[in-house]
Amino acid sequence: MNDSAITAAEVDLTVDLAGLALRNPVMTASGTSGYGPEHAELMDLTKLGAFVTKAVSVEPRKGNPPERIVETSAGMLNAIGLANDGLDGFAANKVPFIESMGTPVIVNVVGHSVEEFQTVCRRLDGIECIAGVELNVSCPNVADGLEFGTDPVRLRALVSAVRGCVSRAKLIVKLSPNVTDVTATARAAIEGGADVLSAINTVVGMAINVDTWKPMLANRTGGLSGPAIKPIALNMVHRVYRDVAKDANVPIIGMGGISSWRDAVEFFLAGATAVAVGTALFVEPTTPIRICEGLREYLSKRGMSSVRDLVGKLQ
Amino acid sequence: MSSNKINVGRVVANPQLCREHYRLTVRLAGFAQAEAGQFVHLSPTADMLTEYREFSTSGSWDGAGWLRTVANPMLRRAFSIAGMRAVGDDVELDVIYRVVGKGTSWLSRLVSGSSLSVLGPLGLPFPIHSTKPHAWMVSGGVGLPPMLWLSEALAKVGKKAIAFCGAQTADLLAVTMSGERSPRADAANATLSAKEFAASGTPVVISTDDGSLGFSGHIGAALTAYHKAQSCDADDLVVYTCGPERMMAFVARFCFDRGIECHVCMERSMACGTGMCQSCVVPVRDDDTDGAWRYRLCCREGPVFSAEDVLWESPAMAK
Ligand SMILES: Cc1cc2nc3c(=O)[nH]c(=O)nc-3n(C[C@H](O)[C@H](O)[C@H](O)COP(=O)(O)OP(=O)(O)OC[C@H]3O[C@@H](n4cnc5c(N)ncnc54)[C@H](O)[C@@H]3O)c2cc1C
Ligand SMILES: Cc1cc2nc3c(=O)[nH]c(=O)nc-3n(C[C@H](O)[C@H](O)[C@H](O)COP(=O)(O)O)c2cc1C
Ligand code: FES
Repeated sequence: MNDSAITAAEVDLTVDLAGLALRNPVMTASGTSGYGPEHAELMDLTKLGAFVTKAVSVEPRKGNPPERIVETSAGMLNAIGLANDGLDGFAANKVPFIESMGTPVIVNVVGHSVEEFQTVCRRLDGIECIAGVELNVSCPNVADGLEFGTDPVRLRALVSAVRGCVSRAKLIVKLSPNVTDVTATARAAIEGGADVLSAINTVVGMAINVDTWKPMLANRTGGLSGPAIKPIALNMVHRVYRDVAKDANVPIIGMGGISSWRDAVEFFLAGATAVAVGTALFVEPTTPIRICEGLREYLSKRGMSSVRDLVGKLQ
Repeated sequence: MSSNKINVGRVVANPQLCREHYRLTVRLAGFAQAEAGQFVHLSPTADMLTEYREFSTSGSWDGAGWLRTVANPMLRRAFSIAGMRAVGDDVELDVIYRVVGKGTSWLSRLVSGSSLSVLGPLGLPFPIHSTKPHAWMVSGGVGLPPMLWLSEALAKVGKKAIAFCGAQTADLLAVTMSGERSPRADAANATLSAKEFAASGTPVVISTDDGSLGFSGHIGAALTAYHKAQSCDADDLVVYTCGPERMMAFVARFCFDRGIECHVCMERSMACGTGMCQSCVVPVRDDDTDGAWRYRLCCREGPVFSAEDVLWESPAMAK
């Protein structure tokens, strides 16, 4: 390695997400740090590139009965059931903290119908301190019981319907890994008008208690997250970048099992512009800060001035 | 802004107490004031965290070490604080645990000098400042550890406390009995022969399911027998309980039927331990909402709950 003229402190970590400027490319993943206050007790949230909230739906939801989580090899299954206070509760109880957070905030949105997604997104678009909305399309449509995110036709219709309600905030669509061809859903999301793609959501899985012969989770199945899904996530981010997003000039937020700067670098090389950390926050809440420090040192050692120069450089 | 809730601790001692039970003592440079009922979330990452700078600048550290080591177990593990004291400027913390799976067997292999990451103190403590003079602590199995510390706190505020400790068998009871064994089949008399409780002057009633020590039967039956023999006015008594959920449900019912104030310390599978993930819910009465109940987070709004708020019979308990 040549002697670099760039010190770790001089490395430029800023990235641009479809016009949204981030001070660094490391964000939280939805559902893994609530709406902010609890995480703020454990780390300085202004050190994040962006904060992504737990899902918000029109009506409050209690969520699933316990057990809601179970640890598996190098990962965990969760079936929280999108528990949240509903749109009114969110606006009244969570927005005041978000306003004071000092970091761009993206709100994860969930709905059981196109109209529910529209209602939530329209309201959020009107709240100045919310930089973006992220559609969680890994949930069933009550109309037909099928997930929005697994069928390109349904997904395109949903995204374009929501596009009409979102003019100020960035519109992010979170891709489900539980599909045969993730490039087809990625293309549908972009055609529907997504500004940014995020990938991946959790991988559907199951764990069984051999004593009781029952599923470990009350919901029977859950979403797998953590290091176990990183190879799946990397492959999907790479395919989406190479086949769809690069030419469409749509940035990708990569996630799935990221716990170190090395993991993050892999995602950048695969084509992600930013990364999100989820499950690792449960073990070490300050992981995003550690990743940024590691990225600075890695880039400075390679004599690189900007993290942006890594994006999509997979050989 | 970054808090002192995440600390690296050094193991001072980790002796085995009885079959499957150990007492871990950890020394910490920074740990906030804590109270009985609160818990810590433990993970074996400390070495990786402290050596971060060194390794990363030498280029040999790949940054993934801390999670790779804990990939199995990956998540932190929750344990009640069983005792805490100042040692110079540091704090020493006790945890008593039963080896039941991969996380607790990792703990049991720690030797003195090893380090670990301690997140805490977390959760809400037992309320101890009522005017009622009598306090009974009822524990089953590894529900015992928080009671050891609670007994010290109760002694300090001048309560007349009794510890009811149940276990399946004598060798699964994590207290050391001295002198005579407490009389068989008799729950009406408490003794001072448990070393751990003797320090606070707290008499104990022991029960074992198989009758190998103390009262023969479950601790709820011992409680019932003792209460019958030594009746204590409901208005003068607070009951604290921790242990298997079925046992706590029994104690909650016992107290409810007699109008006795009761506080339970619940356990739930926890991912974050800090209120970020929503994994650890307990259904509680909530007169403000439709359906009159809601979930509360065991890690943040508990683990101590008022027994009459918990919906013991609800399908939403589904443990
Ligand atoms: C607030 C609180 C206080 C606790 N205090 C004590 C204590 O003082 N002493 C003690 O021995 N145990 C205590 N426990 C239980 C202890 O956390 C579990 O025994 C431990 O997590 C088991 O981990 P394992 O890997 O050995 O078992 P495994 O069965 O392999 O664990 C698998 C997963 O299930 C979770 N899990 C398993 N059993 C429990 C349980 N009973 N409660 C919560 N999560 C569980 C683990 O955290 C892990 O994620 C407490 C739990 C809570 C929530
Ligand atoms: C406990 C938990 C709750 C989650 N809740 C949501 C959610 O509400 N909305 C969503 O889009 N994704 C949710 N996710 C998925 C994460 O945002 C992320 O996509 C996934 O966990 C992969 O990243 P990780 O391996 O770093 O955790 C959740 C994940 C976990 C573990
Ligand atoms: S363990 Fe995460 S919210 Fe309680």
